[in-house]
Amino acid sequence: MSEVQVLNGNKAAAIGAALCKPGVIAAYPITPQTPLVEYLAEFAADGRISSSVCEVESELSAMSVLTGASLAGSRTFTATSSQGLALMYEPYFRASTLRLPVVMAIANREMISPQTLWGGPQDSLTVRDAGWLQLYVEDNQEILDSIIMAFRLAEDPRVLLPMNVCYDGFYLSHSAERVEIPSQELVDAFIPEYQPQHIILDPKRPMAVDPLTNGYLLTEYRMKHMMAQQNALKLIDELDQEFGKMFGREYGGSIETYFCEDADFILVTMGSMTGAAKDCVDLAREQGIPIGLLKVRMVRPFPAARIAAVLKGKRAYGVIDRNVSFGWNTGIIYQEICASMYRSNQNVLNVPFICGLGGEDITKAHINYAIQKIQERAEGKISQDTIWLNREVEIV
Amino acid sequence: MNLIDKLATWEDQISPGISACVGCNVELTLRTCMKVMGPNTIFAIPPGCMGGVGVVGWDKKSGAKTPVFFPLLDNVASMLAGIKLHYEHIGRDVNVVAFAGDGATVDAGMQCLSGAAERGDKIIYICYDNEGYMNTGYQRSGSTTKGAWTSTTPVNHSGQGGKRQNKKDFPLIMAMHDIPYMATMNPAYIPDMVRKLEKAKEIKTGLVYLHVYNPCVTGWGFQSDFSIEVSRLAVESNFAPLYEVENGKFKMSVEIRNPKPVKEFLSRFKKFSHLTDEDIQELQEWTDFKINRLKHLCTL
Repeated sequence: MSEVQVLNGNKAAAIGAALCKPGVIAAYPITPQTPLVEYLAEFAADGRISSSVCEVESELSAMSVLTGASLAGSRTFTATSSQGLALMYEPYFRASTLRLPVVMAIANREMISPQTLWGGPQDSLTVRDAGWLQLYVEDNQEILDSIIMAFRLAEDPRVLLPMNVCYDGFYLSHSAERVEIPSQELVDAFIPEYQPQHIILDPKRPMAVDPLTNGYLLTEYRMKHMMAQQNALKLIDELDQEFGKMFGREYGGSIETYFCEDADFILVTMGSMTGAAKDCVDLAREQGIPIGLLKVRMVRPFPAARIAAVLKGKRAYGVIDRNVSFGWNTGIIYQEICASMYRSNQNVLNVPFICGLGGEDITKAHINYAIQKIQERAEGKISQDTIWLNREVEIV
Repeated sequence: MNLIDKLATWEDQISPGISACVGCNVELTLRTCMKVMGPNTIFAIPPGCMGGVGVVGWDKKSGAKTPVFFPLLDNVASMLAGIKLHYEHIGRDVNVVAFAGDGATVDAGMQCLSGAAERGDKIIYICYDNEGYMNTGYQRSGSTTKGAWTSTTPVNHSGQGGKRQNKKDFPLIMAMHDIPYMATMNPAYIPDMVRKLEKAKEIKTGLVYLHVYNPCVTGWGFQSDFSIEVSRLAVESNFAPLYEVENGKFKMSVEIRNPKPVKEFLSRFKKFSHLTDEDIQELQEWTDFKINRLKHLCTL
C-alpha cells in the first residue's frame, strides 16, 4: 500500500533511494543537500535500510567509494550540490566512462564566486558533457519517482550509465509538499536486482579493470557510450509509461508538454520554475494568448528531436535559463535548443531569458513578462539578445 | 612451514615479464606482498611505477592473476573502501589491498587514506616509498629526503639546490591515526616483510598500513646489482628503521646495535652527490633525532 506524507525534496529523495535498496551509500553533507544525508543515516540507524553507509570525509571520496562499490557489484547511491559536485569531478567523469550505474541526486546550487549557497542548476549543467544521464525535475513527487526510474534506467544493460536526478536547492530541497510514497512491493517489482556482467572486481572472476588503452580502442568505448546515451533517450519515454501504468503517475519521459499542440508561442522551462510558469500559461490562455509550455526533463541525453517536433512551425519560442553559458551570453538550455532546431533544419524566431540566478525568485511577474516578450519577438519588435528578467522586471 | 617453503609453495600472483627496471626492488616487494595476500585478493595500483610497468595490463593483457585496477592517483583508499563495503555487505571475506607509490599516498591521496584510516575501513594499504614520482622521471614528493636532487628540485652548476624540506614521516602519521596495525618494511628484509604481511592479513578490525622503503635504481642513481645492499644500508644506518605499531604499541622489528653513519648510505646515490659535509651532518642529526624519538615511543 502506498502512503501519503508531507515531505521536503531531500526527504523525498532519501525515501526514493531507500526504496531502491542500494548496497552501498556514501555521501558528504553540503548545503542544501545536507538533510538528505541525515535522513539516510537515520534510516540506517533505525534499520529501515540494510545498506552499508560510508561516512566519507569529502565528496571526492563519496564518488570514489561508490566507484569501488559499483565495480565490485553493488547498487550505489549518493547526493551532493554545487562545490561538492565540483570536487567530485575526477571520479564523476570516470564513473560514467567505466559504465557504472551510480545514481546521484543533486540538490542544485549556484557555483561560487561570489560566495553563494542558494539554488540553481549551474553546478550539474556545467558537467553535462561528463557522460552521465541528467534529469531535472519540477516537484517533490517527481524527485521520488525519478530516483526509482533512475535506478532502472541506469542499470538497464542497454544503458549502463550513471544518472543524476537534479532538483532546485531550497525551492524543492527545503519546501514541503504532498508526496505519495509507493509500497516496497511495487518498487521491488519495478526494479530487478542489479547483476553486473560487463565489469566486475571479484577474485572468482579475475580481470584487469581499466588498463592503459590505446586511442583506437578508446574511440570504440566512446562510440558505445554515445550509443548508450541514445538508448537511454528512447528508454526514458518507454519507462515513463511503464511507471505510469504501475504507479499511476507519468511525466512525459524526456520532456513534458503543456498546451503545446495548438499554441503559436512556446515557453521553455526546466525545474521548479515550471509550476509558476504553468499558472502563467493558464492566465495567458484565459486572455486569449495561444501559448504553451515545454518542460525540459532530460538534459543528457538531450531530447533534440522531440523538442524540435514541438517547436516546429511555431511563431516564436523563449527559453528561461536559471544558469549561464559563459561565452555565449545566453543560458545553457537555450543553446541546446538552438542546436536541436538547427539539426532539424528549422528556423523559428526565439528569445533567450536568464532569470533566478543565485536562488533569486522566478515569479509570475517575470514569466508574464517573458510571455509578452516572446510575442514581441514574433512580431519583430525585439532582437534575439538575452533578456535578464531579474534586471528588467520590477517586482512590487 | 618455514619461510623458504612458504615462498616456494605460494603462487606468484604477478605475471612474469612485467617491464620494471633491471634490479627494481619494488618488483620484488610487489611479488612478495601479493604472494602472501594470495588469490582471494582484489588490489589497486594507482598511476605510478607498478602501474606503468604493466601490472594492471596493457593491450588487452593482464599483468596480474588476481583482479587488479587503476584507481585515480588521489582516491586509492576510498575506492578500496567501497569495494570492501560491498563484500562486507554480501558477507564475503576478500582481501582488499592497495599497492601505491609515495606520491599517491603521502601527497595526492593522503586525504582519502586518512579518512579510511579514521573510519576503520578494513583494507590493507601498502605504500612503496621510492621518494618521488619515479614513473614520470623522478619529480619530488613529500616523501623525498631533504637535499635530494630531483627533476623538480634541480642542482645548479655550482652544486646548489636539491629539495629544501624534510621528508614527511608518513609511517608515524599513519600510526598516529590509531589504526590496529602499522609497520615499516624493506626489500632487504624479506622474512620480516612476510611476517608483517601475514599479520596484516589476519587483522579484521580496521585499516592496516604498511610502508616499504624502496631505493630506486633509476631515479636515485646506483647500479642495479646493489639494489638490496643499499636497501639494507637504509636500515643499518637507522635512516629507514624497521618497526611496527600494533594497537598503539610501538616496537622495533630490527634493532641496530652499532648503526652505520648515514653518510655510508647517502654516498651510494647520485641524487645526494652534491651534498656538502654540513648537509650530511644535518641529515645525520635528523636521523639521530628521529631514531631516538622512535625508541622513546617504543618505551611507552
